[in-house]
Amino acid sequence: MLFDTTQLALERAIGGAAQRQTALAANLANANTPGYQRVDVDFHSALQGAMATDGDQHAAVEQTAFATRRDATAITRADGNSVDAEAESAKMAANALEQQAAVSVAHVRIQILRSAMGVM
Amino acid sequence: MFDALEISASGLTAERLRMDVTAQNLANAQTTRGADGQPYRRKEVVLAERQAGGGFGAALQGAMSGGSPGGVEVAAIAEDQTPLKQVYDPSHPDADANGYVQMPNVDTVAEMVDLISAQRAYEANVTAMQAAKQMFSKTLELLR
Repeated sequence: MLFDTTQLALERAIGGAAQRQTALAANLANANTPGYQRVDVDFHSALQGAMATDGDQHAAVEQTAFATRRDATAITRADGNSVDAEAESAKMAANALEQQAAVSVAHVRIQILRSAMGVM
Repeated sequence: MFDALEISASGLTAERLRMDVTAQNLANAQTTRGADGQPYRRKEVVLAERQAGGGFGAALQGAMSGGSPGGVEVAAIAEDQTPLKQVYDPSHPDADANGYVQMPNVDTVAEMVDLISAQRAYEANVTAMQAAKQMFSKTLELLR
């Protein structure tokens, strides 16, 4: 196969980071909505679990779905809102860097394939 | 794929409206004759979480994953029902028989605080939008 499991996992990580960005953006948009509970996407552990399977790793990574979940552990303010704007911004910055790292690695791996194929 | 941008845009719209309403409150802090002839009452924006797109697929996905984010929406612009301020000013044309005028229940200091809060939240949404934009353009680098 042309793309190995690592490449697939990188692509899934890029998708997961995009989904997480959506969740974090929703948190910031609802920073002043009473009763709003923050949401998050834990794509790391989903991918880690798929990579750790004994069976067909490639298929496991391919079938991994990321869920956007309510974060019940976050500290809630008096108005029932659990969004901390600073913490969300920090998570967003980290998420964007992670996504950029994954894209860079995926890009280099594609470049290697290209030169092997002679299509520079 | 561009959900994140839309969500941030909904945040911008909501915070913008909060600023508009705050400006309206400040402008009418001394208005003794509102649209209904009564003194102006302070208005407040009620925000609510917006659920992502309609349709069966979205509803099913939402139920299975705890709801996909849809941003924020303005549920209502409510009037503050706290009592109006009584100010003694017999020379005022709207003063009652005892010389008291009913003034709007607008607290200018609280409005300024609201204004700053809305402004900061607006900026946070702009930052989120920039982060999403950066991520999308980085993903497009894969094609180069």
